[in-house]
Amino acid sequence: MKKTACRFRLLFLVPGMVLLLWCRVADAGEGSVLDRINEANEPFDNSSIQSALPLPVKTVLARELYQGGTFRVLARKDSISRFRCSVCHTEARVTVRDGVLFTHGNVVLNHGRERDSLSCSDCHNEKERDFLVGKKGVKVDFDHSYQLCGKCHFRQKSDWLGGAHGKRVVYWAGERIINNCTTCHNPHSPRFKKRMPATYSLPLDE
Amino acid sequence: MSIRQHKEGQMKKTDAPEVRSSRRDFLKGASIAAAAGSAALVTGCLPGGDASSSEELKLKWQEYFKKHYRLMTREEKDETVTRLVKLARIRYDLDIQMSNRPAREQVLYGYAFNITRCEGFMECVRACVMENNQDRPSKTQYIRIFEMEPGKLDPSTGDGKFFHEVPVDNKFYMGVQCFQCENPPCVKACPTKATWQEPDGIVVVDYDWCIGCRYCMAACPYWGRRFNWGTPEIPVEEINVRQHYLGNRIRPKGKVEKCTFCIQRTREGRLPACAEACPTGARVFGNLLDPDSEIRYVLKHKKVFRMKENLGTDPKFWYFID
Repeated sequence: MKKTACRFRLLFLVPGMVLLLWCRVADAGEGSVLDRINEANEPFDNSSIQSALPLPVKTVLARELYQGGTFRVLARKDSISRFRCSVCHTEARVTVRDGVLFTHGNVVLNHGRERDSLSCSDCHNEKERDFLVGKKGVKVDFDHSYQLCGKCHFRQKSDWLGGAHGKRVVYWAGERIINNCTTCHNPHSPRFKKRMPATYSLPLDE
Repeated sequence: MSIRQHKEGQMKKTDAPEVRSSRRDFLKGASIAAAAGSAALVTGCLPGGDASSSEELKLKWQEYFKKHYRLMTREEKDETVTRLVKLARIRYDLDIQMSNRPAREQVLYGYAFNITRCEGFMECVRACVMENNQDRPSKTQYIRIFEMEPGKLDPSTGDGKFFHEVPVDNKFYMGVQCFQCENPPCVKACPTKATWQEPDGIVVVDYDWCIGCRYCMAACPYWGRRFNWGTPEIPVEEINVRQHYLGNRIRPKGKVEKCTFCIQRTREGRLPACAEACPTGARVFGNLLDPDSEIRYVLKHKKVFRMKENLGTDPKFWYFID
């Protein structure tokens, strides 16, 4: 009698254990989302999202590539209040009276550390005023200032090209349009200013 | 004998659903009749019951007897959206645009947060509140930014309620929100299946199916969910009219809500409001299944980690450093 009861119990125990083991195995086999991500190697068809409409901002085709091919950056020239520079910077003489207007007294230069902080001519082209200039005399367009910034900030530039620095404009889908360096940073004093936060949060344990 | 038994068994099997469905039909019919009756009763009792209130009542009743969102057909989803738009018209005198766009193919949303870049300006929090129609008096926020001591990576050691000039030297800032786990414990905890994971990876709530038990809030190890103790109060001029059924539509009282990666925006190809508002570019959002996307670049080239990864929740939200 006792023996049959024991067998009866075993009858439940064995399938139970098998079930438990199977559950464990199934749980372990359930891969992380990383497996799914690593398996996905087919580029996404960005044109499939029709709601990513063209933006009402001026952009230029970047002169570099990222992992997905070509991309666009926000144009800069239109937001420079006194572009083109060569309108004023001519051979003509400037009277002292006009000096206040012409000396760019509003520009606060705070770029680079104390000992090797930059001066105007480190970036601005003295010969062709409508362009920037690199250390080796390479002419750089104002709309493609990332070419110049990246000369020193090469690490930030490679992050920016890939997408780990900077940001896209409005859409994650569609053609890649990203902020130019100067969209976020003031080139004359690139560090963000300290300020009050936009809002605040209540304590956690209310 | 055995064959007969078998046959009987079969017959019973085929009969059973019919019986059940007829009972269900009966109940459904009865409830609708009751609804219509009581609606008529109420409108009859109202002195000169005006047209809009009876219309509202009718819509409310139809809303009350709708199905679970996932069991609805395309038409039924459209119908409920139309009803909700009409109800918003009556209640707030607003023309809202509500979408019920399903998940897109070959898309899995992911997020990355740069703890080196975030400077605690809280622009993301403000943008999120404006975008998602959160309750203003209770200051409901889906995102919380912690001011952290260097070397610490657990937000519970940080200050989550700072309000002073930022960034403070030698501190860093860490944002926390719903991580849209691939293995979400909140979904398992829900007794009414009112919360689930969409095919594009976003964990959503059907506010009309939520009973407000808050089991999901207890199950979430990241404090990712919020509860509506009252009907959300939002100044009418601040209501975001571009809504999604599973996203930022104005929640009823006593429901759980959460970050949905701004489903109403992201399914249209736009960035979430927090990512768009971020002034420092600390927030990276994109399609995890696209090898050319920014988020994939971050995962491949940066040092990334996820919060409480050992819990096995598999969040789709990574932190990274420059």
